[in-house]
Amino acid sequence: MTANTIGQNQSSLRLKSLKALETLALLLIIAFIVLPILWLAITAIKPQEKAYSTTLIFSPTLENFEIIFSDTSVIINEGTDRERGEVGRNMFPSVLNSVVVSGATILIAIPLATLAAYAFSRYSFLGNSVLLVWILTTQFIPAIVVAIPFFTLFRSITLFGKPLLGTQMGLIIVNMSIVLPYAIWMIKGFVDALPGEIEEAAFVDGCNDFQILFFISLPLIRPGVLVASVFAFIMSWNEFLFALIIGREMRTMQVALMTTSGARGIMWEQMAAAGLVVMIPIFFLAMFIRKNVVDGLTMGAVK
Amino acid sequence: MRKKRWVPWVLVGPALLIIVLTTIYPLLAALYYSFHKYNLRRPPQFAIQIGENGIQIDWSLLSFNNYALAFSDSRFINSLQVTFWFTVISVALSVIIGLFIAVVVQKGGRLHTLTKVLLIFPFAVSPALKGYSWRFMLNENYGIYDLLIDQLIVGPINALLSIVNALPIVEIPLISESIVWLGDKFWALFMLAMSETWGWAPLIALMFVGALGSIDEQIFEAARIDGANRLQIFFRVTLPLLRPVILIVTMLKTIFSLKMFDQVVTMTGGGPVRATQTINYYIHQIGFVRSLDIGYASAMSYILVVLLTICAALYVSLVLNRD
Repeated sequence: MTANTIGQNQSSLRLKSLKALETLALLLIIAFIVLPILWLAITAIKPQEKAYSTTLIFSPTLENFEIIFSDTSVIINEGTDRERGEVGRNMFPSVLNSVVVSGATILIAIPLATLAAYAFSRYSFLGNSVLLVWILTTQFIPAIVVAIPFFTLFRSITLFGKPLLGTQMGLIIVNMSIVLPYAIWMIKGFVDALPGEIEEAAFVDGCNDFQILFFISLPLIRPGVLVASVFAFIMSWNEFLFALIIGREMRTMQVALMTTSGARGIMWEQMAAAGLVVMIPIFFLAMFIRKNVVDGLTMGAVK
Repeated sequence: MRKKRWVPWVLVGPALLIIVLTTIYPLLAALYYSFHKYNLRRPPQFAIQIGENGIQIDWSLLSFNNYALAFSDSRFINSLQVTFWFTVISVALSVIIGLFIAVVVQKGGRLHTLTKVLLIFPFAVSPALKGYSWRFMLNENYGIYDLLIDQLIVGPINALLSIVNALPIVEIPLISESIVWLGDKFWALFMLAMSETWGWAPLIALMFVGALGSIDEQIFEAARIDGANRLQIFFRVTLPLLRPVILIVTMLKTIFSLKMFDQVVTMTGGGPVRATQTINYYIHQIGFVRSLDIGYASAMSYILVVLLTICAALYVSLVLNRD
């Protein structure tokens, strides 16, 4: 064997061990990411007596889901929130609350955000860029500062004889403060990417501003609007602080997770089942907008 | 091309109005409350009264008492410290692990692509749920993390230590295998930061993957031809090129960390002994759970606003000066 081939063997050995190291790193990364989600899923289908152990030997069951969606579960909530000592209950109304609040939030926010985003992208008007940056900075306002005044305001405003505090409507209103700015920035990104020539041509052909907007531009940015809607839906679905302070007894799913605690502390198998219910729809939505999440979160600052 | 000046304002108007109402109004109202004695248990007395004689201002009702209280309140100081350490740990871990993941998954075969797809998973888990699932997994009796940490980390280290201890030179105490992670002041805060890192490192990795992808491949090629090894390429080429993005991401994550609230509620409840009471959590406790002191809660949240304004200004200047 010549010295040359020994050298080659060594370098291919080094390359191989590097590859092995990389594969190990990848597997570690995958485990790091997937384990909490996997464990939640496993716990959700464990029978109650096996949930409080790390065992993987059990017969899968759906009874945890049955429990959280039935009225018969009698769980006395003692620990988590002293203000209300309540009884664990059917989570279905909470699912409904989350769907209604998140759905209404995007139904209101997305059309408004689309119009605004279009104007920011296509018109130069006084204060255009200053306003855009200002909208970005509203995201840095801590949610608690928004929640305090709206709590006191909604306590005194009544709608149909009931205070706005603890209603879906109240939560939808405060959700606007987080959803609108993100939606505007996201949709603006899509409008920016659209070449202006088509609109120019329509203008030359005699279309007015609104005709161009509604018949030419909007159909073209529809995919972007859809992505922004999904992103906004996820934001309001996962929102917790407003739901806790403003939503209160009108529990969204995020808050309802807390009602799985009982006399023995948190009923983990029920929490896991409720957690899956919260997570699975968002999981599919997140996969759907996978390529746009980063742009959304950073408002396009990282590209 | 288009002349009508009013058109953009009609389009922007409604959205702008709602943003102003849902952000500027509460900012002003909270500032106003912060100068008052305002407890939810009693009807508040406000300085500005609108009566028959127009607007009257009773200056005696305004004071800086709430702010003075904040800086003499050891629990508030504690919450500042907790938030500081939580932010430092979670930002550092998220950015470093995010960078590591990005470099590993950026180029390669199927496993790399699969990992890249998985990176979006934690985004689907709400922070509140994240807190619960970590709390469950860290349980000292039946938590999977507790088991894994004991078996894979503490176990081997202790085995090594016992070998060292067998030599008659030093005696190093073994690490306890029965640490109650969320019952220990340091570990509770660290694990809270870890749960945050679990949610953010993959997203930050995605941000870096995007940034890495936009770097010209020829730069790396040139470095390789010049004989640079992988580590050299990472520290001398990749890192300097990513610097602007790293700065932006770090600042953004700092802002998100300072605002953290959800997991404290679901994972630690602020404990043990206030070791994980972040600013947001303490404000919530004062304003809505314990003393119901809205004036004081407003004052503290304004201190948070000031902190975040500084960060936001830094962030915006980073983003605007990038190009």
